Amino acid sequence: MHEQSLIKNLVEKIHLLASSESDRLVAARLRLGALAHISAEHLREHFEREIIGTPLEGLRLQIEEQSDIHHAEAQEIILDSLEFEDSHGD
Amino acid sequence: MAKSKTIKVDYLARVEGEGALYIRYDDGGVHDVKLKIFEPPRFFEGFMRGRDYLEAPDITARICGICPVAYQMSALHAMEDALGLVPTPELSALRRLIYCGEWIESHTLHIYMLHAPDFLGYPSAVAMAKDHPKIVQVGLQIKKAGNAIVKLLGGREIHPINVRVGGFYRVPAASELKPLREQLLQARDMAAETVRWAASLPFPKFERSAEDQYEFVALSHSQEYPMNKGRIASTRGLDIPVSEYDSHFREEHVEYTNALHSVLVERGAYFVGPMARYNLNYDRLSPLVRQTAEDIGFPPFCANPFQSIVVRSLEVLYAFDEALRIIDGYQQPQEPYLNTEPRASTGCAATEAPRGLLYHRYSIDERGKITDAKIVPPTSQNQKTIEDDLRHMLPKFLHLPEDKLQAQCEQAIRNYDPCISCSTHFLQLHLERSGRVGQ
Repeated sequence: MHEQSLIKNLVEKIHLLASSESDRLVAARLRLGALAHISAEHLREHFEREIIGTPLEGLRLQIEEQSDIHHAEAQEIILDSLEFEDSHGD
Repeated sequence: MAKSKTIKVDYLARVEGEGALYIRYDDGGVHDVKLKIFEPPRFFEGFMRGRDYLEAPDITARICGICPVAYQMSALHAMEDALGLVPTPELSALRRLIYCGEWIESHTLHIYMLHAPDFLGYPSAVAMAKDHPKIVQVGLQIKKAGNAIVKLLGGREIHPINVRVGGFYRVPAASELKPLREQLLQARDMAAETVRWAASLPFPKFERSAEDQYEFVALSHSQEYPMNKGRIASTRGLDIPVSEYDSHFREEHVEYTNALHSVLVERGAYFVGPMARYNLNYDRLSPLVRQTAEDIGFPPFCANPFQSIVVRSLEVLYAFDEALRIIDGYQQPQEPYLNTEPRASTGCAATEAPRGLLYHRYSIDERGKITDAKIVPPTSQNQKTIEDDLRHMLPKFLHLPEDKLQAQCEQAIRNYDPCISCSTHFLQLHLERSGRVGQ
């Protein structure tokens, strides 16, 4: 379960970033390298399991699968961006 | 309407390095080698207790994302041993087929993404892909074919959900296997090419002397190249039924690592994995694989662990050949699974995970609740042999600059494809000379 520490690492980072924002986190966007040792489906499943019962539950996860095996980050999983909605509704 | 904003992050999710190698040496030689694994205890054997016997294959599959089928196979065979259940030949054939898929997935990942960059002098597969794009593309194509087998039989590519004690939840119709055939035929050709390419890599010369030779241990079966069944055999004459495993093998706690070390009682270190299977079962490989080995001049017995990449590639070729044989002779089982009734009992099984012998033993009560579980993975069985190899090799490498020494050690560890993060990531190297400690 090497992927478990990877997902935990990712979720912790999202928690950290979201806690310093006053708005509500609604989506996270990841880039999945062509040679990353995990499929998008597998990554999503683990991620969704990891956030059950946490403030991140329900977060929309967008995974962009990359196809370039020559890319410098081809073996990596990158947290690309986070999307927030104004929690005050104004 | 709520306003939204997006913040850019570009943060890399990483598995931390979880292995360290400690070497103590002086001019008189290498005195101590310790491979440390930092992974925290995972308590799988503990939290299996109280769970239903039917859950064991799916829970233990979570031990590894690279070889979940191996854990499922050992678990369900152990449960069937406890219950006196013998799967039909048709169900056994399907289990062998899904195991072929896993061998292909796992071996190909190791050959192309982890081990080949070592031989060709690249720090990673990404760096290797810049100069050798075709090689990496071929590896990905082969792996895809393995994924297709596991997905079809297991319901998904990783952590399959379709196997169960007694058989499968659902078995495919013959017509579902046919489209796979074409993909496997093409991939088998690529696998044959891989064998020739792997054999052309530059191998460090490393063989132990006759009196210090490895004891190779693998399942052995009179008719089959071993996957799901057989007796436990070794190159020093061990030949026992799996039920006697606990009398011959012992796990030891070593103070410097969380991983247990497994030893053969009274003999010590032993060697499991593709080379052990190959050396003990060469004549059960298919004619195509033996012919391919002969064509490249690869002998039926190999004791240079750096050449394990060739053995792995031969096993990938075998897995395709075997998968095609099973598909061509496929008879859909009459029932997807045999019914089971729990009873108070104990059962065990060993199967051949891609990395080697994987032993499971369970006790269940009359309601089918697990009361005791023991799981011995291949990595813990090889760990002593990995340290022994390093002890043998290091005197030749110690003159090297530290970065080159580290690369040599990583390559030697990767010969075994150990299932720890240091097999894929950074290994911390601690050198101690004449009482000084450097890192």
